[in-house]
Amino acid sequence: MAKITLDKVTKSWGQTEVLRPMDLTIDDGEFVAILGPSGCGKSTTLFLLAGLYAPTSGQILFDDHTVNRVDARDRNVGIVFQSYALYPHLTVQQNIAFPLRFKDVPKDEADRRVREAAALVQVDKLLERRPGQLSGGQQQRVALARALVKEPNILLLDEPLSNLDATLRIAMRAEIKALQSRLGITTLIVTHDQIEATTMADRIICMNNGNIAQIGTPDELYRSPHDIFVAGFIGSPPINLIKGEARGDTALVGERVLSLSAIYRGAVTFGLRPEDIALIASADTAMTGKVSLIEPMGREIFYTLQTPFGRLHALETGETARFVIGETVGLTFNAQRTLFFDAEGNRLPGLNADITTTIHEPVPSVRHPSHAEVAQ
Amino acid sequence: MSVTTSSSSATPDWSRMARRTLWNRTGFLAIVIGFLTVVSLPIVLPYLWLLAISLTGKGGDGTTILWRLFAVAAAGYLALITIALFAPEGQTAKRLQWGVTLVTVAALVAGVGPYLTIDNFAFLWDPASVAAERGSQSRIGLMPSVWSAMGNSFAFAGAQTLIVTVVAAPAAYALSRFSFAGRESFLRGLLLLHAFPALALTVAIFIQMYWMGLLNSLSGVILVLCALELPFAIFVLKGFFDAVPWDIEMSAITDGASRFQAFRMVVLPQVVGGLIAVGTFTFLRGWEEYVFVQTLLIEKTSLTMSLYLFFVSEDSMGVDYSLVAAVGVVYVLPALVLYIFTQKYLTQMSFGGIKG
Repeated sequence: MAKITLDKVTKSWGQTEVLRPMDLTIDDGEFVAILGPSGCGKSTTLFLLAGLYAPTSGQILFDDHTVNRVDARDRNVGIVFQSYALYPHLTVQQNIAFPLRFKDVPKDEADRRVREAAALVQVDKLLERRPGQLSGGQQQRVALARALVKEPNILLLDEPLSNLDATLRIAMRAEIKALQSRLGITTLIVTHDQIEATTMADRIICMNNGNIAQIGTPDELYRSPHDIFVAGFIGSPPINLIKGEARGDTALVGERVLSLSAIYRGAVTFGLRPEDIALIASADTAMTGKVSLIEPMGREIFYTLQTPFGRLHALETGETARFVIGETVGLTFNAQRTLFFDAEGNRLPGLNADITTTIHEPVPSVRHPSHAEVAQ
Repeated sequence: MSVTTSSSSATPDWSRMARRTLWNRTGFLAIVIGFLTVVSLPIVLPYLWLLAISLTGKGGDGTTILWRLFAVAAAGYLALITIALFAPEGQTAKRLQWGVTLVTVAALVAGVGPYLTIDNFAFLWDPASVAAERGSQSRIGLMPSVWSAMGNSFAFAGAQTLIVTVVAAPAAYALSRFSFAGRESFLRGLLLLHAFPALALTVAIFIQMYWMGLLNSLSGVILVLCALELPFAIFVLKGFFDAVPWDIEMSAITDGASRFQAFRMVVLPQVVGGLIAVGTFTFLRGWEEYVFVQTLLIEKTSLTMSLYLFFVSEDSMGVDYSLVAAVGVVYVLPALVLYIFTQKYLTQMSFGGIKG
């Protein structure tokens, strides 16, 4: 068990800067996800913690002790690789026992710990098999047992679920989460899958291009993203982002003028999550849209609409579509849930829009080409 | 819509098309098998001949035996091929094939059996009588026993195998895993060394061995051949190490292993196939080596099998071809056995290109 601190840690390969100065604290027993697109430096962070890479500058601390110069073999870190990295020539039993060979663990205690770890992840019936004879899910469990058997300070999971099929992934997700809360090990999971991150982790570190874009609970990242990258990366289907221009207490978004809750001037991007849009059967609302595509997703219906904002995605709970393609429907949305970002992509906190007080006349002189027109 | 109506007017003759497919496939197979048989004849015949001569007496029945052997074997082979091509699959074909095999073996025993003798192999268990028969001044009379030559050859090829694998494995690992100054040129150098005709070095090596005092000693030749074999072995093994994923090595290190322990306990077991392949290859090269043992063992106080064979065939008292063939068979046998056991590893060998 350990608290992890990163103090201005950077990593460069030659001239290429993989990690910009990174500050981070992870509390003892916390389950944290590092989320980001591929190549954003999330695996690098993990390998830095494991000691497989050395930081170019900065300090890595475990429980307030600098471990920069401590070898990977001495850091007592359990790691599960994306490929599981089981030793193909050893049996499951030998694989799990491998880390204990380098510690002064008596034979019978080692056997007991291997059996316990195997039972923990339910592979105790497979001890005599070799990795080649196991399914992907079983290999994953063995890798987890091997990481846990040495009672590590920190458990690191590098995209552990990406090679599993969808059903198994959901099962393993729940299992890893339950295991972590039972054992209370400080755990870091690296993933590019936001569902994995939001379902499993207490906190999410959203990374972009070697920088930490935002750290927060899943809900904070979802509802109050710091910038346009986080807003676009978190959420599936993704948020609607529409370019516009604010002029004091109004903003021109697409072909529509919205009233603003605060004064702002300059180029903005208007963000609206699909599920925050309500579709109304009567077209007698301040704004209407024409249904151009309907995608049933089981429990939800995903609509694509042509609106004065341009093309807009809306998500509605329900099993059957209430509308047909070509139909004109009314649109409303919750003003509290609207997001505005400035020209650099940073969130403008406290700025919201309200559709109910829409000014109907667009101003032709500064009219932007709308998405709808571009699409045509 | 119009497409379906027009095609349904003429019902295709499915069974006729199936027959045509069957004939096409059979014809193709027959041509391929015929071609392969014809081109492999010149390769197979010398071995058959060697075997036939080594098993016949001095009377010169060799040719008769060879032709009978060939005729019976060819007939059996043709029958088996015909069955494989035309007979219905399953149990019947199996039984037919077994029948043909039995008939062929019986015909061989009846047609060739009476002519066969193992007298030519007497040098193996009774070298004294062979020497007496050939005359005390014949080569076989002057040479040490075939067993000492055999032992030398085993020691020669075995030591070479051991040294080459033990040196090549860490070298290949380093080339595969570490980045160091000159790595690229080192790899290119390995390829160049492998392509270099070693024979051109003979004189230089001879002089060098002389100054090092290793002339006439088997260990000297072993060192020379190891040096010549190493580039190839390292290059091949590097390919095997390249195929071992980084992950398991990193995993071993986080599990508490040192770099060397990770190499020995995790990486090395993944390349066992490669080690066996390289080892076999080196052993076979050592086993067949002739030029350097001939050149560097000038006094011929110790002989390898290749030298033994050479001297048997260079007898000033006239050549006994049956004896030469028998020695040849004995010489080929160990290599053949080794090859049979390791061929599945040899086929894994890839000569993959240099990767950065």
